[in-house]
Amino acid sequence: MEIDDVDEEEVGFSRNYFLAKESGSSSSKKSGRKVSDIQVVDEQELIAAVANIEPKHEKEIAALKDSYKSSYSEWVFLLRCGFGLLFYGFGSKKALIEDFASTALSEYTVVVVNGYLQSINVKQVVVTVAELLLEFLKSRKKSPKANLPNLQQPFSSRSMEDLFSFLDGSWMEGNDCFVCVVIHNIDGPGLRDSDTQRCLAQLAACSNVRIIASIDHVNSPLLWDKKMVHTQFNWYWLHTPTYEPYKIEGMFFPLILAHGNTTQSAKTATIVLQSLTPNAQSVFRVLAEYQMSHPDEEGMLVSSLYATCRERFLVSSQVTLNSHLTEFKDHELVKIKRHPDGEDCLHIPLAKEALEKLLSEIN
Amino acid sequence: MASSASAAVVGSSPHRPLPPALSDNNLQPLFVLHKAASEKEDRKSVRRRMNIAPADHQRVDAGECMDGFQEQLQREAFEFVWSKIEKTIKAVLKNINSDAFSEINSWILESFQAINSFSSTSSYEATRSFPTAIDPASKRLFTGLVLTRNMEFVDDLMTFEDLAQHLKSQGCHVANLSSLEFSADNGTGGCIRSLLRQFLLSAVDAADMSILSSWYHALGNGTPVVVIVNELERCCGSVLSDFIIMLSEWVVKIPVILIIGASTVDVPGNILHFNALRCLCSCKFTLRTPVERMDAIIEAVLVKKCSGFSISQKVAVFMRNYFTSHDGTLSAFIRALKIACAQHFVTEPLSCLLKGFDEDENQCFQEKYDFLQEAISKYNWSITSCRRRSKVDERGGKKLVSAMVELKRLQDGWSCALMCLYEAGKRSQIHLLDLLCEVLDPDLYASRSPDSNSSSRKGSFISQAIQNVRDLPEAQFINLLKSWEKHVIAIPEIHGKVKDLQYMWKFGNAKRRKEQPPDMPRTQTSQNHLNVQRASKAVNDRAAIFIEYLINDLMQPMECVPFHEIVCFKNVEKLKAALAGDPRRQIQVDLLGSCRTLHCSCCCRYRDILLPSMQDTSIMYTLSQEHGDVINLYDWYESFKLILQPTNKGKHKKQSIFSKKKDTGKSEKLNEVAIQGRFCRGVTELQIAGLLKMQSKRRPDYLQRVAFGL
Repeated sequence: MEIDDVDEEEVGFSRNYFLAKESGSSSSKKSGRKVSDIQVVDEQELIAAVANIEPKHEKEIAALKDSYKSSYSEWVFLLRCGFGLLFYGFGSKKALIEDFASTALSEYTVVVVNGYLQSINVKQVVVTVAELLLEFLKSRKKSPKANLPNLQQPFSSRSMEDLFSFLDGSWMEGNDCFVCVVIHNIDGPGLRDSDTQRCLAQLAACSNVRIIASIDHVNSPLLWDKKMVHTQFNWYWLHTPTYEPYKIEGMFFPLILAHGNTTQSAKTATIVLQSLTPNAQSVFRVLAEYQMSHPDEEGMLVSSLYATCRERFLVSSQVTLNSHLTEFKDHELVKIKRHPDGEDCLHIPLAKEALEKLLSEIN
Repeated sequence: MASSASAAVVGSSPHRPLPPALSDNNLQPLFVLHKAASEKEDRKSVRRRMNIAPADHQRVDAGECMDGFQEQLQREAFEFVWSKIEKTIKAVLKNINSDAFSEINSWILESFQAINSFSSTSSYEATRSFPTAIDPASKRLFTGLVLTRNMEFVDDLMTFEDLAQHLKSQGCHVANLSSLEFSADNGTGGCIRSLLRQFLLSAVDAADMSILSSWYHALGNGTPVVVIVNELERCCGSVLSDFIIMLSEWVVKIPVILIIGASTVDVPGNILHFNALRCLCSCKFTLRTPVERMDAIIEAVLVKKCSGFSISQKVAVFMRNYFTSHDGTLSAFIRALKIACAQHFVTEPLSCLLKGFDEDENQCFQEKYDFLQEAISKYNWSITSCRRRSKVDERGGKKLVSAMVELKRLQDGWSCALMCLYEAGKRSQIHLLDLLCEVLDPDLYASRSPDSNSSSRKGSFISQAIQNVRDLPEAQFINLLKSWEKHVIAIPEIHGKVKDLQYMWKFGNAKRRKEQPPDMPRTQTSQNHLNVQRASKAVNDRAAIFIEYLINDLMQPMECVPFHEIVCFKNVEKLKAALAGDPRRQIQVDLLGSCRTLHCSCCCRYRDILLPSMQDTSIMYTLSQEHGDVINLYDWYESFKLILQPTNKGKHKKQSIFSKKKDTGKSEKLNEVAIQGRFCRGVTELQIAGLLKMQSKRRPDYLQRVAFGL
């Protein structure tokens, strides 16, 4: 399930009510100003600025984080009671959870999964947890080795069912034998699909595993059904806002002012065009000039473009033109629109100023 | 492993260069933070480290009081108490369905005989890879449709596991298939593989029914093979239909009997294909409703003698409302009970006395107290409900021991009285959970003054139950007395009173029979009938007085008893917060009230005014509230810039965080860069929180708001 899809539907229901309410109480802003009106600085400068943002309220944030330290022993108690810990609240909880795990959980093996990354192999996570549990069991002299599973087949080549049954086995007396799995952003982009969540829920339900996870998205609970929540994850919710910047978690998000604005798009387009052949650049110039001289039109008809290019000896056949167009489309330099006549027409998705700048640069 | 995967991530992703300070671990999908410390000594050092915590709270707070010794005692007590509660719940849920299970078992045996009557296959035929050609009548698949009468399937998972256990104990071969096996991706192959894995106890790659057939004939013991499909509503209809048709073709070789769990009787018709429905020869079985199951659990765990752990009225009301209006599942109720139990043990230091509470006598409490005395004096624990608020010193300790014995006695009496009241209320379909919430109410208890005649509010569940006793017809009345006798048998004084009532009823009955010979004239009969009614009413009234006496004398809510903190959990807010977080609301509250959470003196000075010293994302989110459905990026940026760098004419008197520098052109440029950086990070953080949706290519100047209102 995609959280954003849910947003769409949910917003539909509540939006009208709240907007009506808001418009009654305060004047909602309506403006036609464009993002291109912002004098955006160079992307490299912006990236450097983001990296060097001076933190605010460092003392208060440190005090807030310190206040959570007094709950560490309670959290360990809850883990031992069989609960999974779910941290939520605004601010990065990565440092808090890792500090908790390093300080209070040193008697248990702790694995960390960085859920904010795009590519996470859940099977690999389960295999690693199984390997660590086996290692732990072997290191405990008391556990009779005869009870341990047949080790002829490595965990990586076993089925998930086998892995879960190993992780759920009663290998030691008492219920104090478990591997802690810290999952930063269990609602992260790489873990959001239902199969992955189901797999993590199965992992959480194993008696020799405890999950300590964090969520940041407001709609994260929609990832789980009641079976997962009540019988598998067995969450104990902990509201722990930290107000720490999402430095690592936000690393893979594009900066809003660095992308999509005029400067940036023109720059990107220039780089792409410079890598193309002179003929392709000329074809693009024909299209750009037409677009600038006919600002009210949907775009240039493909047939017109072909005719003009043929006249100027830029292309010899429709096939050659098509190959150039494919190149442009792949790099999102042009868009195809349907002309009112029914014929396809070509449009460069850049503002006039950006287009001017682009033409001056490729000249 | 981790490093190679991380390399892929690093290679593929970055939109911008990574800050050098980030360690490699942050970019690895998975890494081992540390491995378990090897010896117990390490554990002790961990505990020592954890206990270095600020101790500026008056009351012993969670986390502060737990050194190794104390924590171990509390954990042992929790494990003891919770395992007892858990076992009780399992037993209750198993018993409540035992009639249905027995019925299913008998039907399976009958169906098995029916299948055997028309199928006798040789070993050669059985192992052939295609089914034997037979007449259509023998293709019928005996199917038990188990109606759960519950939309929430999570509560029935355990039921079907219990059913499987029960049938296995009766000699059947049983396999459970969940809806995951009936997914379109897996197809019938996945179901067959799952069956083979469960029956043959080994992984078989080939999805071949003939393997199962060979296995069954090799066993040669002639027992039914039961396949339980436990959540019909969530299965893929076409896959399940194909599976049913396939099983029906194999039924002469493998005597498969299907058991399907569904919420209502019309579900199979909605999900299965006509051809599959035609194969089924179904028989219906009905399980108890969730409310019935809930009452049975409440009775066994919170009313009758179980572990000694109890909950306050507010907690009970919250749990009831959560069950009836919010979640609707028993599983959530059980989870809430477990959280309450864990919180009780983690926050109440003396809760460890609950271990063995229901079994211990005075001497044992004394021994425990002696054992705990050092710890008690060390932590200077106080019991707030003790009238003088005295600390648990040596004298207080003796008081504690006697209080524990008294608590136990009161709990027994309370339990008897509540069960009697519940029996009386059954005629009006009063649920035990509702009654429990009412009898736990300390205000209601306080309003029952010794002089007042009434023991209940008009219209309350208690008054309804008492009225029932008054109105109960003769036949039901004697049954009620019998049930009361059963409940109060452990308290001789009360038992004697019930016996008196029974005697009174029997005596009156015998007298009436004597006075009313069969050949009495009609006019005299009607006169006698009135007399009989009057006499019977008198007994009913006596019984109502008796139940009122029970309410007044025995039904003291646990939270009104001194030292109740040891056994009674009261912190409903803590339970609410732990049971179901509300990230949608809380994250917005965090942002809109950041200065309150951070206890920041500089930002809290001016309420409702945005100051540049506030957290950037908080400023941005507060500003976004002024926009409608969509946020104009330019306007938003300008208003953010205005907050961080107010002009002299601006209404914000506070100096900008950047204004310390001289307004040279260079510093202005620097400020602009820094503001844009802060703005970008704020947008990213709101995006991570899911409070914003990025602009589309069609509308590049606007962002979409996602959350409206708290």
